[in-house]
Amino acid sequence: MARFLFVVPPFFGHISPTLSVGASLLANGHEVAWTGLVPLADRHIPDGGRYILPEAELAPHQDEIARILKRQDDGPSLSGPEVMKLALEETYIPFARIMVPGVMRVTEDFQPDVIVNDCITFAGALAAHLKGIPCVTTTPVPPDVMGDTANSAPKIFEWQQNLIQGLQRGLGIYTDEFVIHSHQMNIVFTSKEFAGFPYPDPHMKFVGPVKGRPNDTPFDWKKLEKATGPKVFVSLGTLLVDIRKEFFLKLIEAFGNGPITIVAATDPSVIDEWPENFIVQGFVPQADIIPKMDAVICHGGFNTVNDTFMNGLPMLITPIAYDHFHTAALIENAGCGIKVRYKRLRVADVQNAMQELLENPKYRLAAQHIRDTFTRAGGNAKAVSLLEDFALSHTVTENA
Amino acid sequence: MDQLIQENKLSKEEIFETLNQFITEVIGEEFVEEMDITPASSFTKDLEMDSIEIVAFSEKVKNHFGPNIDFTGWLSNMDLDEIIRLKLEDIINYIRECQ
Repeated sequence: MARFLFVVPPFFGHISPTLSVGASLLANGHEVAWTGLVPLADRHIPDGGRYILPEAELAPHQDEIARILKRQDDGPSLSGPEVMKLALEETYIPFARIMVPGVMRVTEDFQPDVIVNDCITFAGALAAHLKGIPCVTTTPVPPDVMGDTANSAPKIFEWQQNLIQGLQRGLGIYTDEFVIHSHQMNIVFTSKEFAGFPYPDPHMKFVGPVKGRPNDTPFDWKKLEKATGPKVFVSLGTLLVDIRKEFFLKLIEAFGNGPITIVAATDPSVIDEWPENFIVQGFVPQADIIPKMDAVICHGGFNTVNDTFMNGLPMLITPIAYDHFHTAALIENAGCGIKVRYKRLRVADVQNAMQELLENPKYRLAAQHIRDTFTRAGGNAKAVSLLEDFALSHTVTENA
Repeated sequence: MDQLIQENKLSKEEIFETLNQFITEVIGEEFVEEMDITPASSFTKDLEMDSIEIVAFSEKVKNHFGPNIDFTGWLSNMDLDEIIRLKLEDIINYIRECQ
C-alpha cells in the first residue's frame, strides 16, 4: 500500500477530479491526503482521507492570498494577453512561492510515496523535486492552452521561461530543466482525440473525465418530466457572478415562453421573473440532469464540458475568458458543438445555433464520438491503476 | 520629394477608414455601433478582439495593403505588454512604414 499526497489549488474545478481518484485510492487501501492554499470543506473529502492545511506557513501570506483570489474576478473583463499575465505571473507563480514551505512540511509529516500535483499548482512538483519524491501531475483541462509560443511568439515564450526559471532559482533549483510538472507521468482528464493530441508524449496519459463526487441535491424532477419539447441545460459554472444577469436576460429573450425547456443552474434571484419554461436552481445535481437533456449551453468550464460529451450531447459554447476559447476551438474542431462568443452574443445567433444543434444530427453524432473516446480512455479506474503502478515501480527502483 | 512620397503613401485618415471598415466586417456592425472607434482604440481592451478575430482582421489587411504587410509576423514579435497596449494608430503607422 502506498501514500499519496495531492497538492491542489484553490479552484474547485481542479480539485474535483483528484477527489474522485483519491476516493478510489482510499477504497483500494492506500493512504491519501490533500494539501492546498485555502481551507476545503470536510464534506468534500472522501471517507478516510484528510485535508492538511499548513496554516503556520500560510499565515504570513493571508493578505496576498486574498488579494490574488479577489483578482480572479477581473478575468472575464480582461483580454486574452491580460489573462495570460493574470494566470501565470499574478497567480500560479506567487501561489507556488507561497505554498512551497507548507508543502515541504506536510511532506515531512505525511511521508508520501508519491506527490500528485495539479498542473497549475507548481508547489507540489517543486517540493517533490527538492525532497527527491516521485511526482505525478494531474491536468483537468485540455493541455497546451497557450499554444506553441516558442515558434509563434518568441517574446511571450521568453517571458514564460524567465518566470519559471526565476521561481526555480528562488528555491535554489538551478537546473535548466523545468520541474514545475512531472516528466514521468501527467494524467490528463480528457481524451487525446478531443484535446487534439493524436500522438502524445509517452508520459502524457489521457484518461478521459472521471466521475464527479456524489451529488444528491434535491431538484424539481416532476416539472422536468412534464416538459414535452426539447430540453436544454444551461450553466455558467460557479464563477462569473458579475455577468449572470446579462447572460440570462439574453437567453430569456431567445427562448422565453418558447417550445424549449431550459434548465438553468444559477441563483434564481439574478432575474425578477423567469418565464414558465425555465427551471432555475442555484446548485443542481448536474450529472443526473444532463442525461435527460437534448443539448447544453455553457461558457466552456470543463466540468460541464465533460458531463455534456460523456452523455453524447451537442453544445452551444459561449466562451468568455481564460481557456474557454481554447475549449471552444476544440469543440468546433470535433464538430460536436457551435461557438457563439459571449462578447458578440446576438439573440438571433443563439436561436439559430440551438435550432441547428437540435435538428442537424451531425453534432450529436460527433458528440457521441467524443463520448466513445472518453469512455475508451478509461476514466477513474485507469487513473487509479496508473497511480498504483507508478507508486509500485518507483518504490522498486528505489529499493534496487 | 515630399510631394512624390505623399502621392504614393495613403494618409493616416485613409488607412484608418479602411481599417475601421475591416473591424466592422470582422466583429459585426451592431457591436461596432456601440463602440467609439478612434486611432487611440486598443485592440484587446477597447475592441475586445479575440485571437480568431485578429487573424481574420490581419488577413483583410494583407489582402488589401499587399503581401509585404506581415501583420501576423509583426504581432508575433511583441511581448504581452506590447500586445495589451497595441492601438489602431500603431497599425496605421506600421502600414505606412511598409508602403
